Amino acid sequence: MKQNHSELSARTFVDVHAIQEELDQVRWGLHDGAGSEAAQHAAAEARASVLNLIAVVGNEPELGEISSVLDRLSITNPSRTLILLAQHTREADKLEAEVSAQERTESGHRVSTERVILHAHGEPARHLASLAAPLLIPDLPVILWWPGRPQFDNPLFDDLCELADRLVVDTDEGFDDADLTRLLEVARRPKARASIGDLNWARLIAWRHVAAQFFDMPAMLRRLAQIHGVSVFHGRDGSTAQARLLGGWIRSRMATVGIDVPIEFRPDDSLEHGVRRFLIYTGGDEGPARFSMIRHRGGRLSTHIRLGDQDVAERTVRLESRAIEELLSIELTLPGHDVLFEQALDAALR
Amino acid sequence: MAQAVTTPLSQNILRDGLILPRTPDPAAMVIFGASGDLTARKLMPALYNLALNRYLPSGFSVIGVADTALTEDEYRAHMEQAVQKFSRTQPVDRAVWQSLAEGISYVRMPFDDESGYGRLAAELDRLDRERGTAGNRVFYLATAPQFFSVIINRLGSSGIAKAGEGWKRVVVEKPFGNDLKSAQGLNQAIHSVFTEQQIFRIDHYLGKETVQNVLVFRFANGIFEPIWNRRYVDHIQITVAEDIGIERRGKYYESSGALRDIFQNHLLQLLSIAAMEAPPNFDADSVRDEKVKVLKSIHPIDVAKDVIRGQYGPGWVGGQQVPGYRQELNVSATSTTETFVAVRLKIDNWRWAETPFYLRTGKRLPSRASEIVIQFKNPPHLPFAKTAVEELTPNWLVMRIQPHEGASLKIAAKIPGPVMRLRTVNMDFFYGSSFMVESPDAYERLVLDCMLGDATLFAREDEVERAWGLVDRIEAGWASQSPPPYPNYAAGEWGPPEADALIEQDGRRWRRP
Repeated sequence: MKQNHSELSARTFVDVHAIQEELDQVRWGLHDGAGSEAAQHAAAEARASVLNLIAVVGNEPELGEISSVLDRLSITNPSRTLILLAQHTREADKLEAEVSAQERTESGHRVSTERVILHAHGEPARHLASLAAPLLIPDLPVILWWPGRPQFDNPLFDDLCELADRLVVDTDEGFDDADLTRLLEVARRPKARASIGDLNWARLIAWRHVAAQFFDMPAMLRRLAQIHGVSVFHGRDGSTAQARLLGGWIRSRMATVGIDVPIEFRPDDSLEHGVRRFLIYTGGDEGPARFSMIRHRGGRLSTHIRLGDQDVAERTVRLESRAIEELLSIELTLPGHDVLFEQALDAALR
Repeated sequence: MAQAVTTPLSQNILRDGLILPRTPDPAAMVIFGASGDLTARKLMPALYNLALNRYLPSGFSVIGVADTALTEDEYRAHMEQAVQKFSRTQPVDRAVWQSLAEGISYVRMPFDDESGYGRLAAELDRLDRERGTAGNRVFYLATAPQFFSVIINRLGSSGIAKAGEGWKRVVVEKPFGNDLKSAQGLNQAIHSVFTEQQIFRIDHYLGKETVQNVLVFRFANGIFEPIWNRRYVDHIQITVAEDIGIERRGKYYESSGALRDIFQNHLLQLLSIAAMEAPPNFDADSVRDEKVKVLKSIHPIDVAKDVIRGQYGPGWVGGQQVPGYRQELNVSATSTTETFVAVRLKIDNWRWAETPFYLRTGKRLPSRASEIVIQFKNPPHLPFAKTAVEELTPNWLVMRIQPHEGASLKIAAKIPGPVMRLRTVNMDFFYGSSFMVESPDAYERLVLDCMLGDATLFAREDEVERAWGLVDRIEAGWASQSPPPYPNYAAGEWGPPEADALIEQDGRRWRRP
């Protein structure tokens, strides 16, 4: 894969109009050499942009890490990105901005993205949303990505949620029950503009997909109505939000048809972080059955159906260990409120 | 404790919210021509990628059928090599392949051998018992076309096509016949065993993401459809150009030619998609009804005036010297097979009356390109002094199928300066720049659709026969003329000069892709 990367500008500004002007310059390639044929060509071409992305980072070291993720993300999602670094220090009020544009050639296609890094100290740090708003490309969705645990009580969080169409978090990053509860509150705020996306929920797509596949066949669907329990085995380390969400998901789905499913969570020191096994037990007139999914090292999931004492179907499929930018990419394509996620979160907290 | 529901679930509620296709029922796919090129290059890699991405059900099984001397282990090893070589995803995940390979078996038999079908039936029964395939079968005819009828006949007479429970479907590769009569004969032969709903005629072009995107482009954007008609469109060009020659397919190509190989299927599919009315929904019959209406509405072609054929001679393509068609392997030194065809046609309906469509396809053209070009009419008057309407390039909307999938719109813009001067600029949308993700291979989509019973992207009986009717008319016209002095274009040229004249006599010109 051929990749060109050129930084067209990197300057420091303190004025929003100057930033806007600089953004126009880098977006349309009107910088030095504007009269050149190449620059005219660039100016005449439409650029594909699919969204505005606002990322909030907590400190300077994090900035580099987040920038790398966004670099990789921009390959699949040409966008305007604002990275906000708010530092509520006792330093004097200060606002710095850096504007840059990246151009890549991927498989013969040119992909362009613009990036603004806004670094605020003191009072301006509280009002970064007012600076971000005029820098967004009109008519494109605004995604707010808040890596780590969001500062739910920081006014900046509310201001940015007002601006955004979607808030993306990763509940795997240390979310405890209190955080999950706050997240659900944000999702269910009256007239909430921003829908919620969770990278941890995106990690569960494969688990949900394979679990659903068990019951695509009519004969197995009859068994789903006779579900009487679920076990979720997971590593004990770190956040258990992923296991909670998976359990919450099946519980909330079955609740839609009036079935209350007991969920057994099995934390295990010997298991690696995250969900490692997911077992669904059914019974009733159809006889006992167990539907199991086991995660293996190397990105694989093996599935088994056991009817009575007989194994009837086994297979191995891929369970991608997706990088953050891939998970983000999934989240960025989902429209509107994810009611299923909210219901799973709600059920996970009950 | 869980409360049991009194009524069974009417649908799989665990599927809610998953933007993924339903999983097909467990099934056995019987591939006739299992040791052939198509199976190795396309089918098996497609099945592997479907398995990898969790689209295949547990118990999915494949029975390879061919007359090549191979043990089951050798066949699996052969298929593994094929997947390693041709899979679009690399490296191949051994555990996933192993899981798929456990369900692959091999039956060696000539396609007309009745006793072989007995062994095949026994193998299918075994899969039903041991892997839960429940009588569901896909019979995939990946053989040379001369075997289609005999395989269908034996599937019928052996009872395999109808045995027991479960659904049965048959996939037929192109070419589906070589003229109207043979296509009708093949349809009759297949219908003696399978109903139309069970038949899936593949044109892999329809499985391409970008062909489907033409439908989305037209019918999901409110701005194009109002101007997609004779009032605003000057004409439409459809090009399917290949820079390669016939490679090793001389024997096949000698009996086919560009008309049968590309025009009858890919070009007419693109024409149907570009010209069809909006279907009420995207189900198989709604879409195919509209496509057939287009084919029915094609004005009778005057072959002498509206069709140009060509054959390439030696030349240079992409900096390489290449032989002429008559010098290719298994091609007659006096061959009159066409490697290029250009057709001008009109569609007699309210939307397109008197709007010409120019279609062309050929081998050894300067570049590989498939595209639909809509040329809009010029504005009736330009208010800008010193700029004549004629000086402007018309507005072109180009939908590129391959390569560089996407769309571009050519528009006029003012050249900066004190004088009002206009210049044409391109607004380009590259499919890849906005969705820079790897698209699945067309075969993955089509195999999955077949297993799910969705025939939207497959050709229907009447569609195929209409297309052959058109081809027959052209062939009949050619039969009454002596062929042009072949070769009449050099490899690396855009067909013979007559193809340019065909469009230029109407005051238009081909777009250079």
